[in-house]
Amino acid sequence: MIAPIVAEAVNTGIIGKGLMIGGGFIGPAIGIGLVGGSYLQAVGRNPEAAKFLGQALIFVAIIELFGLLAFASIFIVS
Amino acid sequence: MSLSLLTGFASDGPIVHVAPHEVFTIGGFPITNSIIYGWICAVILIVTLLWVARLVTIKPKGGLTQFVEVGADFITNLVENAFDDKKIGRKYVPFFVTLFFFILLNNWLGLLPIVGEGFQSASGNPLFRPFTGDLNGTLAIGVVTMIVVYGASIKEAGGLGKYLRHFFIGSPKNPLFFGIGVLEMFTDLTRVLSLSLRLFLNITIGEIVIAVFAYLGSVAAPITALPFTLLEFLVAALQAYIFTILAVMYLAIAVNHGAGHQDDDLTEDDVPETIGPKVAAGSVSG
Repeated sequence: MIAPIVAEAVNTGIIGKGLMIGGGFIGPAIGIGLVGGSYLQAVGRNPEAAKFLGQALIFVAIIELFGLLAFASIFIVS
Repeated sequence: MSLSLLTGFASDGPIVHVAPHEVFTIGGFPITNSIIYGWICAVILIVTLLWVARLVTIKPKGGLTQFVEVGADFITNLVENAFDDKKIGRKYVPFFVTLFFFILLNNWLGLLPIVGEGFQSASGNPLFRPFTGDLNGTLAIGVVTMIVVYGASIKEAGGLGKYLRHFFIGSPKNPLFFGIGVLEMFTDLTRVLSLSLRLFLNITIGEIVIAVFAYLGSVAAPITALPFTLLEFLVAALQAYIFTILAVMYLAIAVNHGAGHQDDDLTEDDVPETIGPKVAAGSVSG
């Protein structure tokens, strides 16, 4: 009984999309920060580890996929 | 007067496109604007690479050949180092180099101003859109890549049965290992989707970001959109590199997996496993 009234007054589509974007980008941001931090720590310990930048960026791209999937689901929710 | 010319392109909101528009049809088959762009890029790539291949000499000269040589060298080292046996890697280098250059050219040419809203066809839709900015395009690239990767891994493993055997650790009759094996196969099938979605979403989101910033600076659009265009150059190159390296790793996992079971003995051949009483007695006396 409350649901139709709420659906008329409040634009639940926009709220849903906003929550998806907001919650969806927290994870990848923290994850990429962790990867970057580990890379810098490893380089600080052993400067020869700087050659692994390419592999660190590969992990960044794998993580970023999940953030972009959250963005893509905007177009699925009406 | 020039201000009104510039604001003539302004609109109510940033114009974003996710799906491609059909431009014309060939025999009842719709040709979209991203297909046209893909054809143009393919022709440019084939002509450029064949022409550069003719000009490659032992001592490096300047010019366009250097860029192509750097890129090809980079991917060749990548592919050859990913495999245990370099001869196997050498066979698949041409495919991955072409894949890298194709995706790179598609992404970079998509940042030109004529690709997108500025240049419109008769029906008012953009005439060119990047081929990798279209989910159909990246799904096509992903499916072709995975067909090559699966075909190559089945051929290197020596048949379909032996290839499927590598998913199962232990005996497949054990229900736990069978379940794990089925899950591994399912993970393999999701690789097509993850590869294509990653490429498509990165390029499309880049275009949306540039469109938003170009709309926000309505007259000063070239200045406000410039930093993000430069960022998109970097992202485009990075995504091409990541697509290629992930495809190479999928192939390397399947191929190295096949060749890695032969030698599980970690010791040298002539070092004894344990020190026997004879050697110990010998070291005490001598």
